[in-house]
Amino acid sequence: MQSWRRRKSLWLALSASWLLLVLLGGFSLLRLALPPRPRPGASQGWPRWLDAELLQSFSQPRELPEDTASPPQAPHGGSCNWEACFDTSKCRGDGLKVFVYPAVGPISETHRRILASIEGSRFHTFSPAGACLLLLLSLDAQTGECSSMPLQWNRGRNHLVLRLYPAACPRTFQLGQAMVAEASPTVDSFRPGFDVALPFLPEAHPLRGGAPGQLRQHSPQPGVALLALEEERGGWRTADTGSSACPWDGRCEQDPGPGQTQHQETLPNATFCLISGHRPEAASRFLQALQVLAALQEMSPARVLALRQQTQFLWDAYFSSVEKVIHTTLEVIQDRIFGTSAHPSLLWNSPPGALLALSTFSTSPQDFPFYHLQQGSRPEGRFSALIWVAPPGQPPLKLIQAVAGSQHCAQILVLWSNERPLPSRWPETAVPLTVIDGHRKVSDRFYPYSTIRTDAILSLDARSSLSTSEVDFAFLVWQSFPERMVGFLTLSHFWDEAHGGWGYTAERTNEFSMVLTTAAFYHRYYHTLFTHSLPKALRTLADEAPTCVDVLMNFIVAAVTKLPPIKVPYGKQRQEAAPLAPGGPGPRSKPQAPAPDCINQIAAAFGHMPLLSSCLRLDPVLFKDPVSVQRKKYRSLEKP
Amino acid sequence: MCASVKYNIRGPALIPRMKTKHRIYYITLFSIVLLGLIATGMFQFWPHSIESSNDWNVEKRSVRDVPVVRLPADSPIPERGDLSCRMHTCFDVYRCGFNPKNKIKVYIYALKKYVDDFGVSVSNTISREYNELLMAISDSDYYTDDINRACLFVPSIDVLNQNTLRIKETAQALAQLSRWDRGSNHLLFNMLPGGPPDYNTALDVPRDRALLAGGGFSTWTYRQGYDVSIPVYSPLSAEVDLPEKGPGPRQYFLLSSQVGLHPEYREDLEALQVKHGESVLVLDKCTNLSEGVLSVRKRCHKHQVFDYPQVLQEATFCVVLRGARLGQAVLSDVLQAGCVPVVIADSYILPFSEVLDWKRASVVVPEEKMSDVYSILQSIPQRQIEEMQRQLFMEPARRENWSAANHQMNSLIWPREQRDSQIINDRIYPYAAISYEEWNDPPVVKWGSVSNPLFLPLIPPQSQGFTAIVLTYDRVESLFRVITEVSKVPSLSKLLVVWNNQNKNPPEDSLWPKIRVPLKVVRTAENKLSNRFFPYDEIETEAVLAIDDDIIMLTSDELQFGYEVWREFPDRLVGYPGRLHLWDHEMNKWKYESEWTNEVSMVLTGAAFYHKYFNYLYTYKMPGDIKNWVDAHMNCEDIAMNFLVANVTGKAVIKVTPRKKFKCPECTAIDGLSLDQTHMVERSECINKFASVFGTMPLKVVEHRADPVLYKDDFPEKLKSFPNIGSL
Repeated sequence: MQSWRRRKSLWLALSASWLLLVLLGGFSLLRLALPPRPRPGASQGWPRWLDAELLQSFSQPRELPEDTASPPQAPHGGSCNWEACFDTSKCRGDGLKVFVYPAVGPISETHRRILASIEGSRFHTFSPAGACLLLLLSLDAQTGECSSMPLQWNRGRNHLVLRLYPAACPRTFQLGQAMVAEASPTVDSFRPGFDVALPFLPEAHPLRGGAPGQLRQHSPQPGVALLALEEERGGWRTADTGSSACPWDGRCEQDPGPGQTQHQETLPNATFCLISGHRPEAASRFLQALQVLAALQEMSPARVLALRQQTQFLWDAYFSSVEKVIHTTLEVIQDRIFGTSAHPSLLWNSPPGALLALSTFSTSPQDFPFYHLQQGSRPEGRFSALIWVAPPGQPPLKLIQAVAGSQHCAQILVLWSNERPLPSRWPETAVPLTVIDGHRKVSDRFYPYSTIRTDAILSLDARSSLSTSEVDFAFLVWQSFPERMVGFLTLSHFWDEAHGGWGYTAERTNEFSMVLTTAAFYHRYYHTLFTHSLPKALRTLADEAPTCVDVLMNFIVAAVTKLPPIKVPYGKQRQEAAPLAPGGPGPRSKPQAPAPDCINQIAAAFGHMPLLSSCLRLDPVLFKDPVSVQRKKYRSLEKP
Repeated sequence: MCASVKYNIRGPALIPRMKTKHRIYYITLFSIVLLGLIATGMFQFWPHSIESSNDWNVEKRSVRDVPVVRLPADSPIPERGDLSCRMHTCFDVYRCGFNPKNKIKVYIYALKKYVDDFGVSVSNTISREYNELLMAISDSDYYTDDINRACLFVPSIDVLNQNTLRIKETAQALAQLSRWDRGSNHLLFNMLPGGPPDYNTALDVPRDRALLAGGGFSTWTYRQGYDVSIPVYSPLSAEVDLPEKGPGPRQYFLLSSQVGLHPEYREDLEALQVKHGESVLVLDKCTNLSEGVLSVRKRCHKHQVFDYPQVLQEATFCVVLRGARLGQAVLSDVLQAGCVPVVIADSYILPFSEVLDWKRASVVVPEEKMSDVYSILQSIPQRQIEEMQRQLFMEPARRENWSAANHQMNSLIWPREQRDSQIINDRIYPYAAISYEEWNDPPVVKWGSVSNPLFLPLIPPQSQGFTAIVLTYDRVESLFRVITEVSKVPSLSKLLVVWNNQNKNPPEDSLWPKIRVPLKVVRTAENKLSNRFFPYDEIETEAVLAIDDDIIMLTSDELQFGYEVWREFPDRLVGYPGRLHLWDHEMNKWKYESEWTNEVSMVLTGAAFYHKYFNYLYTYKMPGDIKNWVDAHMNCEDIAMNFLVANVTGKAVIKVTPRKKFKCPECTAIDGLSLDQTHMVERSECINKFASVFGTMPLKVVEHRADPVLYKDDFPEKLKSFPNIGSL
């Protein structure tokens, strides 16, 4: 009994302490034993599952080949994409050929310009049957007339409907499979990869040429407002770098104090412009703009610099004239047709842009003269001499020897362009000599002959006279400037107040803007540009007035590079005789017809004056320096 | 022990009556109980230690232990995917805040198991790939575990493969997520969309506004600028490690390795094989493989057996043909093998096409032109093919970049979830977006190539003029002469004197020469050569003329001409005294040369024009410790500037005007040779040091200099623009 009682109290004590234990520690012990759900505050990340290795793959290997193909799906609900709605089979052969439906009734100025820009382009064809793309201009609101269904409509297949003004016309017919090119398309109706988005073309937009970008310097000037915000009524509000930015998440309550409103038509002088898509809440927009400001302030100067230059490049390359906008549209469509031989994106997005870097020439950037730096490549170390032999047609034996003597010369091509029979014997040269029988036309000189195997061409006239070291030095200079023309004799253009037009002269002046192509180095790509992208009228002009060809070639290169050509030294004695001078007092064999006003005709066709003047000549480093001639590499250049 | 002793003292009456055996037993028991009590009491005061041990446990849970969620049959279903969704309509940017690192924050929902009313599970809990994918996000910078800070939400509901899903129930599971809110800012990953018979090209699960990263989008279902197209993962790419194979011709020209092709397509391909013989190889499933051989790793042509995917490396082009689905896992295999994919799948949105330039690495052929595919490929020049192959190899290069952070991600396409986040990140912070080139240019190519920061061909207007910066210490007399001479140059617009002497004040205002342009004196905090190249706010022109305080021999014509030359070459250093670097074959290192040479690769900045932007670059972007080296040695700042400009533009300097005797650093040595020689040795050291820091020799050697057009021509001097050149 006693022992039972004792035992009882013992049990009591025991159970009491167990109870205590459970109460006090049970909970925490439980927590120890059973892991709770992750707490929100602690940083844990995605758990490492114990059985991660055992998880099954999302698709079993035998499941993958399960897709036995079904026939291609038909497009849903009348929507279109490139593969479904464009028939590329019509575009084989010479790429994109465009037929334009003639205008019916009175047309607006913009409309007329667009028609002109297509008709003047290499894309244009007069036959709707032979065309790969049929272009229909949706008439603008001004005339109030809306077009009816065109003849060759065929449910809109291979049609491009050009709409200059959003919803100018009610739809009189279903667009069907036609592509639409319009300004500010809406996200809902725009079909990426099929439709084309255009910039808005103002009525006064020039047909071709176009004003150059207004960026005259690479970096912004200090003190220029950072941000300008588009307001209603065409005004601009500017904000300084100094203004405080709103917190990003809070709604800005501050008064837009630091800004100033400029009510003017011209664009403000600011680093960034905020364009808010024509919404009325301009005031609240401004506050948001201040938030943007905070973001923009973070941008490094290098980035701002790159953006500024890119805007200018894009403007110049694709936006500044009606012709550029239209040609860009056609080029975009042509790239879709070409597929693998379309422009690589580098060609679209760096100067001179895809309209001037023809993908028909090459799709490899290294083949062009413009991208060596981006590609980390170097121009080739050899050149081809192309000697044009016009009447009276003496084989230029001395010239061939001098040019072939250059260590950089890879081949000599003689373009025989006169009535006399080809001489049977040519001098022995270290390099291969090929004779091409030309068509007696000046434009032959700039044809992209497949026999030209080097990037560099030394274009020569049979009457030119050059020494080997002149050729060597000029070629080394060209390698530093492969996109420019490097020549010996120069012309300069000027504005002739008296006649209200451009003029040019071969007289020696302190500046020059053209080099004579009768002795000049340039990239063979310019032959392709001359032959395939120049309007035919200009090539005809060159054939009719041979002296114009120099001007024309310089225009092409300057329009592409936006840089002046380069002049290298030329022996003094021969310069006096000026055998290379065009139409001037030089000893031309037959009297030239008075040179037509080619510079003005060419400038009109280009739409602007691309020529730029240079005031320098590149000489050898020790040229005429008071040092022993033995030290000089090009000492023969200095001989009197 | 302490506790048991206490007990002994308190209960002496009780214990002696117990049997010895029991006594020991109870004492031990009580001691344990009390110890336990004390221990748990202590735990109460030590909550942190519990927490930390907790963490360790949580990390190691089993997928089978995740909480179960029951979905009532009538719980809400999200609307079908909204095809009109765009970033500005369906995405709430305000959630993404504005954070200094311009990184979006991604939250991942906790893993749960979803069952329907009958307790039947809705889908497999999670697949291996989805687990890895979520792990990668969680290990990345984008991850946050704070749902309130998140901008993007990733459900842990695995929808990679639509075949394994119960569509309605999965949608219900999505709709009950805590921040679902019509799916805005939610990102779903799917690789195998659609199902028989029509095989939709996007996930069929109703998902309202959620973003979809999907494999196999077509132009019909892809919401441009909203969805992200991703590659279909190939299980093989993780298993097989293929050796790298450089560009160049391969054994087969065209290869098709897919099995289960549509019979029509197979006929087309086989016709090509008949026509072109050995150069085309069309493979199929193997029918007579022995037991134990994995059929996915073998392909057959007639009785020939090939290892897959190794055989892909033997071909130049590999066909990636659509199946019932547009996205094909074979694309991943082909890319990994470095074979140029020929994608024949109309309207397929190639993976990451928003940022990747597939034109550079693949050939896309319309289905209707399949029979012409051989001739289309033949027309591609060899050089372009090699460029494409190189482009493919850049993929692995980039992959290493990405996977540096998480080494599990070593298969070709697995960096993708980070890429996705990056693409979406770019949309949210477009101004900080990575440029197209950064996405597409292989780092290998970048070595040789440069992207000139002043790439726009532009001739700055003459009217702007230039700012002359004269660095001076205390040669006041000489400085004043320089100021007077330079002020005669017509295009000078401002003169800045950088006073580098901290122990001496500059002369009083009244003592300075009176000149026609503003003259500013900047006092520096330390006597450093780098002060010359600081982008002072006072410089308001683009053109800067750096000139030493002892260069008094340049004529006004020469300086004006130098400025005109700079206008034609605004991205170059245009200077007067030229120098050359040479490779010393005996010493096997670079050597500095100041003799009369026919070549030039540097100009001294004791008198040179350059763009102000290079001051910014010199001060803030000079690589390595070059700036400190220059300041420590008090020398070579001009060589450093030459390296910097040549490296960033890839262009040579322009030396202007003939050589004349300059009072330049080399010439200041009073007693001739010895000092001169140490100076030359030091300059050579600089070239070697800088070349090693830049990792290359950026300087370009040229043989030309710029002179006025009519320089030394037989022409009346008075008619020349710059007659006074080379005189003195």
